[in-house]
Amino acid sequence: MSGSGETAIEARELNFFYAGNVHAIKRVTVPAYRNKVTALIGPSGCGKTTLLRCFNRMHDLYPKNRYEGEILFEGNNILEKTTDLINLRSRIGMVFQKPTPFPMTIFDNIAYGLKLKGITKRSELSERVEKALKNSALWDESKDKLNNSAYDLSGGQQQRLCIARALAVEPDVILFDEPTSALDPISTAKIEELIISLKKSVTILIVTHNMQQAARISDWTGFMMLGELIEYDMTDKIFTAPSEKLTEDYITGRFG
Amino acid sequence: MSKFDEELLNLKGMVLKMGAMVESAIRDSVNSLVERDNEAAKKVIERDHQVNALDVGIDEECIRLIALRQPMATDLRFITTIMKITTDLERMADQAVNIAERALELNEEPLLKPYIDIPRMRELAQGMTKDALDAVVNRDSKLAMDVIMRDDEVDDLRYGIVEELVSYMVRDPATVFRAMKITFVAQYLERIADHATNIAEMVIYLVEGKIIRHMALPEENQVSDKK
Repeated sequence: MSGSGETAIEARELNFFYAGNVHAIKRVTVPAYRNKVTALIGPSGCGKTTLLRCFNRMHDLYPKNRYEGEILFEGNNILEKTTDLINLRSRIGMVFQKPTPFPMTIFDNIAYGLKLKGITKRSELSERVEKALKNSALWDESKDKLNNSAYDLSGGQQQRLCIARALAVEPDVILFDEPTSALDPISTAKIEELIISLKKSVTILIVTHNMQQAARISDWTGFMMLGELIEYDMTDKIFTAPSEKLTEDYITGRFG
Repeated sequence: MSKFDEELLNLKGMVLKMGAMVESAIRDSVNSLVERDNEAAKKVIERDHQVNALDVGIDEECIRLIALRQPMATDLRFITTIMKITTDLERMADQAVNIAERALELNEEPLLKPYIDIPRMRELAQGMTKDALDAVVNRDSKLAMDVIMRDDEVDDLRYGIVEELVSYMVRDPATVFRAMKITFVAQYLERIADHATNIAEMVIYLVEGKIIRHMALPEENQVSDKK
């Protein structure tokens, strides 16, 4: 498609089965273009979160989940058995619905992943922590209390801390799973602004129940239903003149 | 039916009411000229404020729906279409007022010639208006395209009328006052047809999401029209 640029990650003919053989994702082909925000929308149970969690193989945490098809990332199919999942998840980070700070200081929350990557020099850790906090727009609010517990932060700040933690290891892609559904409108606005500014350095895939949010922050939108990708197009097209009747019914609230 | 669907239906009703008022203003204004009926002309002028009030009322309702309902896709296109076409409808009513004013002036003078092409133009312009509004309500892009095609016919009629009136003026300067006024009427009717065309163009946006204003007509449509 024109104006889309380079593909950062792409699902091709992807099928996913939960243990017990529930066919949750059905032949989905969807790209996420580099330095763009791609939103996945659809009714509850449509498979959008399941699809998102395929992109860094979160489903592998439970046995007997099964993938078919391909997810291409830098020329490799990351669904291959040989994929190093620890490395994959540092390249493709994730931010969840509810803030998930570790029970440690603000500083250590961010340094944790860096230490796992073998960075131990205090000066380098400090530098990378500061950079991550600045990039997640949390630095000004937290620079004087880096040694306080992360739980001292508000919900919105905790979510930005989680984004900083994902950013610290310099990922290529960040997956957001309804990152603002537990936040008030002001914190939501900050996270949305942050996501838009993060596009410069990372590719973003976001699942959201809030259609206005998808409209506000994404460049591309995919609409899913019953495990299938019904329509995928530029966001302004989807919200002004979608091609599919099902998409139209969903975004105008005339569903079912 | 959801509350929002009821509100959209109500909005549609308001537009149809405005459209009906405009149609009768066009018909009555030309009749007031052809039948030399000053009372009818005055009524057209007096009724114009009703159209203006509805224009404002519809805009307010559209703005309210955008703010409170955050419409998307077909609903967004419907509401923005309504906002744009009411401007056209309001101006059409203003043109009808202009015709009525010229009728009042011309009715004071002896008849220059029987009106033949002016009623014909009126019929075309009013038909285009009716069909353009039907196309909005029924989301009928084919009918809208048909309206757009008919605009040329109105333009041709106006050209013919002006030519004929110029020949009167050249032959007899005493006819200039009346011939000028009738030329204006033809001009007003042509503008009415242009506004109907604008409405029809918005229907293409409403149905297909494409803005075709200021574009050459697609060739396939020109071909299908000639069949």
